[in-house]
Amino acid sequence: MSFGKSFGPTGTPAVIIDCGTGYTKMGYAGNTEPQFIVPSAIAVKESASVGDKAIQRLGKGVEDLDFFIGDEALSATSYSVKWPVRHGIIEDWDLMERYMEQVIFKYLRAEPEDHYFLLTEPPLNTPENREYTAEIMFESFNVPGLYIAVQAVLALAASWTSRQVGERTLTGTVIDSGDGVTHVIPVGRPRKLRTLTRTLKWGFYQCFKGRPGVVEKTLTGTMVGSGDGVTHVIPVAEGYVIGSCIKHIPIAGRDITYFIQQLLREREVGIPPEQSLETAKAIKERFSYVCPDIAKEFAKYDADPSKWMKKFEGMNSITRQKFAVDVGYERFLGPEIFFHPEFSNPDFITPISEVVDTVIQNCPIDVRRGLYKNVVLSGGSTMFKDFGRKMQRDVKRVVDARLKISEELSQGRIKPKPIDVQVITHHMQRYAVWFGGSMLASTPEFYKVCHTKADYDEYGPSICRHNPVFGTMQ
Amino acid sequence: MPAYHSQFTNPPKLIGNIALVPLRTSYKGPAPKDSSDSDIIDEAIYYFKANIFFRNYEIKSEADRTLIYITMYVTECLKKMQRCNSKNDAQKEMYTLALKNFPIPGESGFPLNAMFAKPKSRAEEDTMRNYFLQIRQETGLRMCEKVFDTDKPSKWWLCFAKRKFMDKSLSAPGQ
Repeated sequence: MSFGKSFGPTGTPAVIIDCGTGYTKMGYAGNTEPQFIVPSAIAVKESASVGDKAIQRLGKGVEDLDFFIGDEALSATSYSVKWPVRHGIIEDWDLMERYMEQVIFKYLRAEPEDHYFLLTEPPLNTPENREYTAEIMFESFNVPGLYIAVQAVLALAASWTSRQVGERTLTGTVIDSGDGVTHVIPVGRPRKLRTLTRTLKWGFYQCFKGRPGVVEKTLTGTMVGSGDGVTHVIPVAEGYVIGSCIKHIPIAGRDITYFIQQLLREREVGIPPEQSLETAKAIKERFSYVCPDIAKEFAKYDADPSKWMKKFEGMNSITRQKFAVDVGYERFLGPEIFFHPEFSNPDFITPISEVVDTVIQNCPIDVRRGLYKNVVLSGGSTMFKDFGRKMQRDVKRVVDARLKISEELSQGRIKPKPIDVQVITHHMQRYAVWFGGSMLASTPEFYKVCHTKADYDEYGPSICRHNPVFGTMQ
Repeated sequence: MPAYHSQFTNPPKLIGNIALVPLRTSYKGPAPKDSSDSDIIDEAIYYFKANIFFRNYEIKSEADRTLIYITMYVTECLKKMQRCNSKNDAQKEMYTLALKNFPIPGESGFPLNAMFAKPKSRAEEDTMRNYFLQIRQETGLRMCEKVFDTDKPSKWWLCFAKRKFMDKSLSAPGQ
């Protein structure tokens, strides 16, 4: 499936590559799904000798072509497997360059000179990192144009597809909500900024014109992104990331896996120890969901075990014998650690819903309503069934309690307008960032905001420090 | 959503700062007879699996202290039941465990002295000890029914034996 395509000056769709800590999502603009999702791993040959690793890797003959990425890397023997992206940030540029080489030539099979590229960056990425990216893309791959987008903004854009709004009037005007732009970043002229974002939105609007239900679109919202390593809560107002208010939660997919592994270890016998992590991960991905009340859920399981308890079958990788595992309470206890981190982490005890609330309360007062109204989920670890629903309920509870207190303090004289809390879930969550990128890059406006090869040759990598969508310094 | 609390917020009597809540039991002791179908032991067992995961527990009423004690005693029961092979074995074990010499608030072996007040008089100390004894006996009995629904102990209970509610345990480490 694809939506309206717009080809750039090269006559080809743009290439979108979203490099995450765990997986890289890649594909062409205009599609709704990435072509490939591969682990962000690279397998290289490394000798044990001392000296500069970068020089060693250059080698003499064709050694520099002797490497694998993705799933091939994980199964390659006698190679050392590296993960060049850590916590969302690229750490090893040399490896990253080679990684991109195979992404482009071996997986996407694209000619980089023929495509514009959209890459993503985590919030609070350094300008230097952006420059390195530009250097690699323009100099090694000779791309005609490049855009580096903030992941949070793309995830927010991706959620538009699922916004079901009551009145289905497709009048052609895009409703603009939240106008706290200038408070967030004081540089730039608001008027110009507004028209620019509006053009961008108009572009998005065009892609979804045929789809009923998509009316209200906004670039204001709070993003909760949870992948394998770390969970972020990122407020975005009018496309601006409110950097000072970003919070990170040390609970993510990997912690859920560890927690499930621990629960299994306490109960099940017969899981081969070297496969216990793998088994826990499979159980997490296949059976887990979020429940509204754990005590009731326990009672439900005990009353009718045959309905709720599941069976997982695995195969011992050495003896080739099958083993069976009963899957019980961990189905709902795993994702529960987002809401009760103290279950698995003795140092961090704030539930995710409270973190979301704190983040929004730290933001400028005039954008808060917009942020509550548009809490967007992104990343694989937010995919659990009913995750959004429980979060919406919990955040709503905190917010309502606060409003009630202020009403009581005023002794009934002030009636605060209730705050609308909405957590948006959609089926693209797992690769929301990529999907947002695909939407952005399939508009004609995308090509206007790209950094071009000509600019790069004229000014150098510093052009990437500046984002033409929002900036006005030209 | 924090941990689960006791509903019995209006106890007929207090001993120290623990609520003396009625129990549905045939064992003799200071607790008044409860004729409803759910008393605080049922409540504690119902919430046990959910509460056991919490490291922090805010005490909201005196009955919560009784709830904490029962929850911790359930863990003790589970530890013993791990080694039992039949329901009969378990019932015997529960009987000895309940009658075993146990510390009460104020004594050095009691793990929760920070939250539980010392009995004020000799008479109060006796009531408290007897009330705890009554709780221990009745809890042991009910746990046998829960855990041994067949002749083998249920692994859906025993898996919680190693966990510690509030990072504390009624027995000394290693026991």
